[in-house]
Amino acid sequence: MKHLPFIWKHIWHNKVRSASTVAAMAVCILLLCILESVNQAIVAGLATAKDSRLITRHNVSLVFTLPISHRERIAALPGVRKVSISNWFGGIYQDRKNFFPNFAVDLPTYLDMYPEYIVRPDERKELLADLKGCIIGPALAEKWGWKVGSVFQLQSFIPSYQKAEPFEFVVKGIYDVDDRKYAGTIRNLMFFHHKYLYEGTGQKIGVATFPIEIENADQAIAVAKSIDALFENSDAQTKTETEAAFRAGFVSLGGNLAFLLRTVGLAVIFTILLVLANTMSMAVRERRTEIGILKTLGFSNARVLGIILSEAVLLGILGGLSGVAAGYGMIAILPSLPEIGDAVRMFPSLGMTPKVAGAGVIVAVLIGLGAGLVPALLSYRARITGLLRQI
Amino acid sequence: MISPTREESASEEGVRGAAGKESVIVRGVRKVYRRDAEELVVLDGIDLTVFEGEFVALMGPSGSGKTTLLNLIAGIDTPTEGEVVVAGTFLNELSEGSLARWRSRNVGFIFQFYNLIPVLTAVENVELPLLLTTLSKKERRERALTALRLVGLEDRSGHYPRQLSGGQEQRVAIARAIVGDPAVLLADEPTGDLDAKSADEILDLMETLNREFRKTIVMVTHDPRAAHRARVEKHLEKGLLVRG
Repeated sequence: MKHLPFIWKHIWHNKVRSASTVAAMAVCILLLCILESVNQAIVAGLATAKDSRLITRHNVSLVFTLPISHRERIAALPGVRKVSISNWFGGIYQDRKNFFPNFAVDLPTYLDMYPEYIVRPDERKELLADLKGCIIGPALAEKWGWKVGSVFQLQSFIPSYQKAEPFEFVVKGIYDVDDRKYAGTIRNLMFFHHKYLYEGTGQKIGVATFPIEIENADQAIAVAKSIDALFENSDAQTKTETEAAFRAGFVSLGGNLAFLLRTVGLAVIFTILLVLANTMSMAVRERRTEIGILKTLGFSNARVLGIILSEAVLLGILGGLSGVAAGYGMIAILPSLPEIGDAVRMFPSLGMTPKVAGAGVIVAVLIGLGAGLVPALLSYRARITGLLRQI
Repeated sequence: MISPTREESASEEGVRGAAGKESVIVRGVRKVYRRDAEELVVLDGIDLTVFEGEFVALMGPSGSGKTTLLNLIAGIDTPTEGEVVVAGTFLNELSEGSLARWRSRNVGFIFQFYNLIPVLTAVENVELPLLLTTLSKKERRERALTALRLVGLEDRSGHYPRQLSGGQEQRVAIARAIVGDPAVLLADEPTGDLDAKSADEILDLMETLNREFRKTIVMVTHDPRAAHRARVEKHLEKGLLVRG
């Protein structure tokens, strides 16, 4: 610790070089933290998926819808307990930056199939009785100050769901969550009657997905096959998969964002490692005489190695902390950014956990250690007479 | 442990004054640098004894091996053959780590180009060797200021090397060399980069350290005027010690 002021003086002395190194490291850690936070948000989404639930959609793409008539035929298949309806509405509240996930669903069956959204019986009764009624998550209620009875409007960005006037909704209930029983339940969703959307669009829309509850989770694959076989020769062929597989596939629609980010992140780490290693090598090369002086004064090889590694690690810590701080800020503003915000809002539970922040700092320290290792070892092995040429 | 001979310096008893114990013993030292099949003999069987409290000037032309000999005495290089004993320690037997520890306690080094750390102030430079001790921060600072006071630069303690003249830098370097109270001071051309006035000041200071604080000093120099300030002059030629 008593060498810290000495190490700090060196970092402070080369302000521009140190600042640019820290900035480069910070960008690297920022990217890593965002990547890992997105990954965690994806995993959180998958964690709530249940084995006994299947999702049926159009065989080609989610862009295409299925006829409502499919529902009755699926429900008649052996092993199927319940069939619901779910359409991603894509409704915007006032401005795109206010976007939150909202779904048009067959509420009675949907709420039965998804017990993780806990609705009070009286609110459920009111909800089912009102076509304009909706249920919202506690995060939405808190953010917008909505209560039971609040009225608001949403306009969808999906052309087939648009009409002259926005859709008007009345909050009929605020669902509760049980994190112990259903960990990772998303708190900022909104559900409303699919019938309201269907009627509001002149009965022209189809169904995006049929959430299906089956009697036996072990029969999931067999039931899924039987559903798809049922519509094999129809105009609207289906693709049925488990809810977890569906969510994983849905998340990867954007070209496997997580994989892309991870690849970019690793490339950035490697690049930063090289840049920092070069910077450290230059810094140490410039200080050959100084290292020779230290050794002449009695600093052991190990102590000199420690000083150089400490300098690299200190740069790493500074870069790591800056990157984590920037990451917190970035994640906070990402949803409000144009274009990018739409993609980010697909992950309502996106946020940087202390674990991710800690991992970011640890990676920064490891990069610092890796970058400082070679120059530190060279200094460790260098002979004093070689370092002090004028002697 | 070898026992040093005193024959060589017997005739110099008069100039040694009260000197008694051997401080530096170099016996049969050869230093050979090898590059591929080529051998360069820099020191060829040197015998030298420096007694406690002596001020010895090592003179000789460039390439005669003065600096190499100084490096061997400082324990920053090892002889190809022969033995080096300094302050009672047989240097050949020490590992790298032990040598470093030994240097920090027993040797103060003064360089031709001062070699202060540019990012540290004068007092921080002087304090540097004390980082290897168990002294508290306060004690380290007090000792560093005392050393600076001794060289007449206490008022420049907060100055960086770039804010000091050459003579002042060398005085700070001397303060750094003596702050740990080493038994032996080794100086390599300490006045080689200074004007005559500054050189005189540095030599005055070294004389004071030798006379009043009984520091054993071995100084390499080209400058006959500097050498005359030492109590003993030794001459090296082509790796051999010739009588001064």
